[in-house]
Amino acid sequence: MPMKPKIPGLFKGLGVTLKTLGRTITQGADTVQYPREKEAPPTRSRGVIALREDNCTVCMLCARSCPDWCIYIEGHKTLAPPRRAGGKPRSVSLLDRFDIDYALCMYCGICVEVCPFDALFWSPEYEYSEPRIADLLHDKDKLGEWMETVPEAPELETGAQKK
Amino acid sequence: MTDLSERQQLSYIAGQAADARLNVELETEGMTLNIGPQHPATHGTLRIIVRLDGEQVVWAEPSCGYMHRGYEKLTEVRTYPQVTTLVNRIDWLGSFANEVPFILAAEKLMEIEAPPRAQWIRTILFELSRIANISLFLGDLGVQLGAVTPAFFAFRDREHVLNLIESVTGGRFHPNFDRIGGLKDDLPKGFVDETRRVMRKMRTYCDEIDDLLIGNEIFQARTRGVGIIPKDVALQYGLSGANLRASGVDWDLRRDQVVPMAWDDVDFKVWTHPDGDSFARCWVRLQETREATKIVDQLLDGLPAGPVMAKVPRIIKVPAGEAWVSTENPLGEMGYYVVSKGDLGPFRVKIRSASFNNISVAPWVLRGVYVPDVITILASLYFILGDIDR
Repeated sequence: MPMKPKIPGLFKGLGVTLKTLGRTITQGADTVQYPREKEAPPTRSRGVIALREDNCTVCMLCARSCPDWCIYIEGHKTLAPPRRAGGKPRSVSLLDRFDIDYALCMYCGICVEVCPFDALFWSPEYEYSEPRIADLLHDKDKLGEWMETVPEAPELETGAQKK
Repeated sequence: MTDLSERQQLSYIAGQAADARLNVELETEGMTLNIGPQHPATHGTLRIIVRLDGEQVVWAEPSCGYMHRGYEKLTEVRTYPQVTTLVNRIDWLGSFANEVPFILAAEKLMEIEAPPRAQWIRTILFELSRIANISLFLGDLGVQLGAVTPAFFAFRDREHVLNLIESVTGGRFHPNFDRIGGLKDDLPKGFVDETRRVMRKMRTYCDEIDDLLIGNEIFQARTRGVGIIPKDVALQYGLSGANLRASGVDWDLRRDQVVPMAWDDVDFKVWTHPDGDSFARCWVRLQETREATKIVDQLLDGLPAGPVMAKVPRIIKVPAGEAWVSTENPLGEMGYYVVSKGDLGPFRVKIRSASFNNISVAPWVLRGVYVPDVITILASLYFILGDIDR
């Protein structure tokens, strides 16, 4: 049974759109005109993965845990001078190649999470689209450049336990 | 079948008569019309084959599988942390809600429970994804009926909820925030105040939709009495969620089931509607969105302090066994049956998603309706195409 409202629903609806129109005129539209104005993404936003090359020990954990295998790592062992004078030379791993294929990456963040040496970070940068799909393969130099854009971890809400 | 309304009887008789006319009397051939698989209004691919007699549908069948991505099989070759990234993509509008039942099933097998704070934050994010999902439905239904304005309102206000989800998880649509034993991280500072503000906004949005769409006479004429699903048919076809509640069945897994989530600690009303038509399904979802904003507000009031992660081994191996956990997702009951053989990844996962059952009632309910009503009914049943095909 259709109800018999006092004000017809049509006019109520028109009232809503009129109110919105008034708000849009006085306060401006909600739409963000993207190339001209930009919204800053939140600090936790998963935009692009940055690499701190010095911390990487070529342990391959990130490449192995990646769900779609979009991380390519190559490295070699070399001898470094000993820490103390008279000690034995240390064997360290050097990174030859660290590529992330952003055409395959599904931005799950598992690699950042499993990294035991804090070599990978999330940066909220998002403007790195390319006309050619092959250019989406970022090598270690390009991934290193993203390090500048990595923000500090946000403060936690009250009641959270410090780690 | 009991308690058929007059309109249902008429539509049933019309369907029978259409069949008879088609096959015997006039020897006319019906027209077969494919709705889909591609349609600008659908985000996904679903093909509905309808046989028409004039303007009337005599037979309809949804043809699923155009978007089948094989998630059940994929989970067998992924580890447990990797599976959550996959299940995010099943119902892409309420993606956090997809992770929760899977994680709960794995936790059940490992016999661990998330700390209370993690459970509360999980529930908050769950309800936020419900609001994001259903608020888009309310706008989308208007588009299907020819009213374009509600869709813009829906996209405008859903953005606030997505921003909230992004500020916590880092992803707007694919959070991947749930871990076995808790959550990846705690809430960022300022989240509670911001959420309260957005929840007020969403309640205003619900009022706007109420005035703009639900109270509109044209909308009511298009939806009332269209696509009636009686109680027993709804139960036979295994409908769940708002579709079932709109048919008058008082059933909500959030209230009826004991899972380690925070729904027991809040008061909320489960809305039902006796009619079972398209209008009822829309109305129930609108009330549910309002109720979800109230749930979030209550949860924020009583957010306990403490850790968000239980003690779990670094490499997760789930002991052998089988577990079934289902929760009340935005679309209905979503459940995971996880079989583990003690490996890094599950041995077999069966995903029960709500949309597949919700669409399976379409052949029954589309019989004898007119072509414009087909769109109304399909829109009001509300399925996500990825949720059907998985």
